[in-house]
Amino acid sequence: METTKRRLLIGSATATLMASTFAKIAFAKLPLDLGGDSDAKKTLVRMIRVMFPHKKFADAPYERTADAVFRAAGKTPAETIAFLTSLRELQESGFMKLDDKAAYASLKKIETTPFFKLVKGTTVTTLYDDPEVWAALGYEGPSFEKGGYIKRGFNDLDWLPEPRIEEYAGAGQ
Amino acid sequence: MKQIPNDEKAVVIIGSGAGGGTLAYELTKAGIPCVVLEAGPFLKNEDYRNNEWEAFQQMAWLDPRTTSGSWRVATDFPTLPAWIVKAVGGTTTHWSGATPRFKDYEFKARTTYGDIAGATLLDWPITLEEMAPYYDKAEMAMGSTHRHGRPALPANNNYKVFANGAERVGYKLYATGPYATNAEPYDGRPASIQDGFNFQGDKNKSKWSTLVREIPRALETGLLDLRPESHVVRITHDASGKVDAVVYADKDGNLHQQAARIVCVAGNSIETPRLLLLSESNRFPKGLANSSDQVGRNYMRHMTGSVYARFDKPVHMYRGETMAGIIADEAANKPERGFVGGYYMETLSLGPSFLAAFADPGAWGPEFAEIMEAYANTAGMWIVGEDMPQATNRVTLSETVRDKWGLAAPNVHFDDHANDVAMRNYAYEHAQALYKAVGAIDSHRTPPYPSTHNLGTCRMSARAEDGVVDKWGRAHDVPNLFISDGSVMTTGAAANPTLTIVALAIRQAEHLARELKAGNI
Ligand SMILES: Cc1cc2nc3c(=O)[nH]c(=O)nc-3n(C[C@H](O)[C@H](O)[C@H](O)COP(=O)(O)OP(=O)(O)OC[C@H]3O[C@@H](n4cnc5c(N)ncnc54)[C@H](O)[C@@H]3O)c2cc1C
Repeated sequence: METTKRRLLIGSATATLMASTFAKIAFAKLPLDLGGDSDAKKTLVRMIRVMFPHKKFADAPYERTADAVFRAAGKTPAETIAFLTSLRELQESGFMKLDDKAAYASLKKIETTPFFKLVKGTTVTTLYDDPEVWAALGYEGPSFEKGGYIKRGFNDLDWLPEPRIEEYAGAGQ
Repeated sequence: MKQIPNDEKAVVIIGSGAGGGTLAYELTKAGIPCVVLEAGPFLKNEDYRNNEWEAFQQMAWLDPRTTSGSWRVATDFPTLPAWIVKAVGGTTTHWSGATPRFKDYEFKARTTYGDIAGATLLDWPITLEEMAPYYDKAEMAMGSTHRHGRPALPANNNYKVFANGAERVGYKLYATGPYATNAEPYDGRPASIQDGFNFQGDKNKSKWSTLVREIPRALETGLLDLRPESHVVRITHDASGKVDAVVYADKDGNLHQQAARIVCVAGNSIETPRLLLLSESNRFPKGLANSSDQVGRNYMRHMTGSVYARFDKPVHMYRGETMAGIIADEAANKPERGFVGGYYMETLSLGPSFLAAFADPGAWGPEFAEIMEAYANTAGMWIVGEDMPQATNRVTLSETVRDKWGLAAPNVHFDDHANDVAMRNYAYEHAQALYKAVGAIDSHRTPPYPSTHNLGTCRMSARAEDGVVDKWGRAHDVPNLFISDGSVMTTGAAANPTLTIVALAIRQAEHLARELKAGNI
């Protein structure tokens, strides 16, 4: 990111203030970063985890995804305000206190909102594009520099018989 | 490199992919100088990235496009109707490599299938017999495995599951090809190292593309003037209605004009009709070469879908050649299945980045997470079959959206035909049955991705009123305008199209060389 990162506090009052302040400056270029310990970020991280629950993923990839969501939400002041408002609403609804099932149900209710879609769309292309996640899923990623997979297990599946690779030589072809 | 002056009336080829790249090599080899105008940059194999999103951003055609119609792509990817590459080598840089031939009956779709309601089926003006020698040449050029002495690729993990499943459900016609990637060194290029990256461009050069074969060889003849980052925006014509020049924008948007005695358009099936429509004039008010009103119509994208299956043991489907596994048992016309035409099953693998985006677009929650969680134990296949041409499936110019040059963006309208839907459902069922037979715990159906096969929008026809070009790819309306890509396909057949595009381009080049020598054009 070429622009400076900013720490923003979320609240309806701040949002209103931001609307007037940021409208004047080149806000479109400011990535949002709500910091590792803010309540807003914690809420967003939890939201993403409930949407895409993987016990074997550590917090770090979810946190990186949340940062990407904040950046995606910061394209225009209007989008930012809408996003911050929705996140605030989620926080205030007691989302953090819900168990996974109840949290899922509460997200289900808002799944058609632009807020939810933004989080979902960004997460799908970010969370699973993370090398730490690849490792957790058993995907080894780039291979050319390592000589491909030809000596690294491209044919190591051993729970099925070796199949024919030639075309069928029998009748009826 | 050769430099052809802008005012010299040249043979001009638009696009450097399967069609354009092949044509450029075949013509220069025959001693005919050519200008190739390619909208994308001249990237080399070493520039490619082993990373799904980075490679996509680097090479995909991302100019604005719109969609309409009831196909799911219009909902899931409204601005990305197709996955096509914008770079020297075109989409052959991202293709995987499956090269089956079309079958005899597929060149006679109207006669074989009869009158299918809603479909605009037509027989090709050429036959398999006429195509056979060109298929041979194309297979040798592309180094298709299992053909002309080229050995088979070995079985990778995804294929092992696929082929064992095939055997258990009684299929016979399975193999690791034909597939245009070297199993052993061939044609100056090395054997596959099974690096698993095909859709991102092959850094190892084992996979055929016009970037590794036709373009460098055409350059070696000293007769090719290759101009990357040259986006053709209009084809102009003289008072007699013959094309006489093309106008293109360079990367900074400056316009240039190249005089032409022949223009061959090979921009793939969305950009080719778009360019003809953009080139309307008083003489051709509906678009260049469009007196039949067929330019842009009959757009086909193949009946497609994928099935991913989960096992209780590891598969690691991503290791190795992506599509080196083909089952041809269902590639036959057996109307008793409830549809006409046939389909192939082919191995397919995506990395987690793309699988997340494409497995079930829009999905979220524990079930989706389970699909991703099983990644290492997942096997995948693609189904690809003949879809019905329809007059209303169509590329048109957007009324509202413009590209960065201010030109109308293409809109791609598509509705599945009932035959496409019946075939897809049947194919999904049989793909899932195959995986079940080999022990899958579960499997799921993935809807069609943005189109990788784009066909039919300037179709070949015996009669001028039924299509856009004749059996040589020459426009019915304009004697020195040729179409040289998959847009000319009268019908789509079940097979992946590129072998046929290359074979048609070799055949067209021979024809052009003959006609030029005889002074007929
Ligand atoms: C992921 C993927 C996998 C595939 N796998 C297979 C497979 O296994 N088997 C198979 O048969 N096919 C496969 N295909 C399809 C195959 O890539 C295409 O069929 C083939 O490349 C089409 O050739 P073409 O010449 O029509 O167009 P392209 O190869 O797309 O070339 C068109 C070129 O024209 C350029 N262009 C367009 N408009 C203009 C303009 N106005 N001015 C200048 N230049 C322009 C473009 O930038 C592009 O370089 C695959 C495709 C994809 C995306």
